[in-house]
Amino acid sequence: MPPRHLLPRASLLLAAAALVLAACSPTTSTSLQATGLSPQPDGWRGIPIELDRQLPDVTLQDVEGQPVHLGEDHLGTPTLLFFGYTNCPDICPIHLAAIASAMSSVGVTFDEIDVVFVSVDPDRDTPERIAEYLDNFHPRMTGLHGDLDTVQAALDQLELPGPVVEGADPRGEGDLIGHPAQVIGFDADGEAHRVWPFGTRRSDWVVDLPRIVDEW
Amino acid sequence: MNVAWWCSGTGQVWTWRYTPFLGVWVVAATLIGGYVWSHRRAGQPLDRRRFRRWVLGVLALVVVSEWPIGQIGVGYLATVGIARYVVYTFVAAPLLLAGLPTWLVQRWLPEGSRRQRAVAAVTYWPIALLIFNAVLFGTHLPVTIDTLKTTQLGSFGVDVLHLGAALIWWWPAMRPAHERNAIQEPIRAFYLFASSVLMFVPAAFLTFSPLPLYGLYELAPPLWLGFDPVADQQAAGIVMNVGGGFVLWGIIAVLFLRWAKEREAEDRAARRARDARTLARIAELEGEAERP
Repeated sequence: MPPRHLLPRASLLLAAAALVLAACSPTTSTSLQATGLSPQPDGWRGIPIELDRQLPDVTLQDVEGQPVHLGEDHLGTPTLLFFGYTNCPDICPIHLAAIASAMSSVGVTFDEIDVVFVSVDPDRDTPERIAEYLDNFHPRMTGLHGDLDTVQAALDQLELPGPVVEGADPRGEGDLIGHPAQVIGFDADGEAHRVWPFGTRRSDWVVDLPRIVDEW
Repeated sequence: MNVAWWCSGTGQVWTWRYTPFLGVWVVAATLIGGYVWSHRRAGQPLDRRRFRRWVLGVLALVVVSEWPIGQIGVGYLATVGIARYVVYTFVAAPLLLAGLPTWLVQRWLPEGSRRQRAVAAVTYWPIALLIFNAVLFGTHLPVTIDTLKTTQLGSFGVDVLHLGAALIWWWPAMRPAHERNAIQEPIRAFYLFASSVLMFVPAAFLTFSPLPLYGLYELAPPLWLGFDPVADQQAAGIVMNVGGGFVLWGIIAVLFLRWAKEREAEDRAARRARDARTLARIAELEGEAERP
């Protein structure tokens, strides 16, 4: 028969060792902010941009190979602009799904707001791949691509960091690419007003989308 | 190899790379080791049937807490998260209670001890019903999920609360009739039915909310392209309805039928005894009548 208090002590020691091991080793644990955006003083959820920024003055190509001048062809309608890539495992699909779903929830159409996705990964993102990717969210989303210099020029005009290779994708799908994580909102005149960082939830978009349609 | 203490919402991209959760194995080893050790210490033989139930209960906890189900349920899919709750509450907890022999309960909770009085207080059925539903509602609030389940300690705490509340809730319904606080039909049927009805409330919120309630699942890297957190949430509501509602109704029906059968058997035995007494009395009277 084991000594009287051996088992509880052994369990405690084991638990303590496990805690230490879990705390010291490279775990999968990172902090996750899951509570969405806080309301701004004016009621919007998107964060206002204080600087003067316009839709970038660059020409890219749509998925059908037609040239699109971002700074001219998207005037007349508010635009939500996002830089990403189709292999992105988290930020891009979460943002795009949230926008598409929120638009559907509040009855805002793609005639009222342009949602533009610009690829920062020209090597992998072919027009067909971009079209197929965006179909997962909504077929009316606009997919644009261009060479890396043109995309970089667009990012520079918005003072956003350029794409960087961050290392191997843990899913084994090539490299992960670092890119701006925010959606930028431009009014019908092409002037930037607000950004929505990663962490924006549908509940945030349903507040802001009708205001974009009404006020921009 | 990555290791962690307990599953939590990490916000990291899902991969099929095994991440052991050491806390799960520590808890499982403590539960099974403690059970065997208690028997040895008391000089009691292991009742195979009870031990099997206890081990199955622990196994249920391990399956839904370890990688991958634990990780997917806490960090990626609300459906699996609710399924974990259903297994903790409706599978693991009753199996663990069914594996506890009365002598062990009496040994752990000596009559008149502070521990026994505390357990008696929380397992009194109206209190147990209140605790169970307070934990059910409290731990499914978006603010609770989004803040506690993003840390290992918080997630562990929520799981401990779920198991603890389930054990308290099942206690009066499952312990033998002669034990303190044990309830029988029709109170037991009402007790279980009331919980099943209350469970429809959070389930309805999950099923009918047009927006994702939990940022944890909405902002987690999607497991597949085109993943819809609202559809996942609706499925989670259905799992809670089926697990907490319909399965519980099945359990209520089984317990009620068993109770009715026992009552019928008792009635039959009482009738037989009465008939036997009547026949004996008749025979006695006939004997007296025949006597000169």
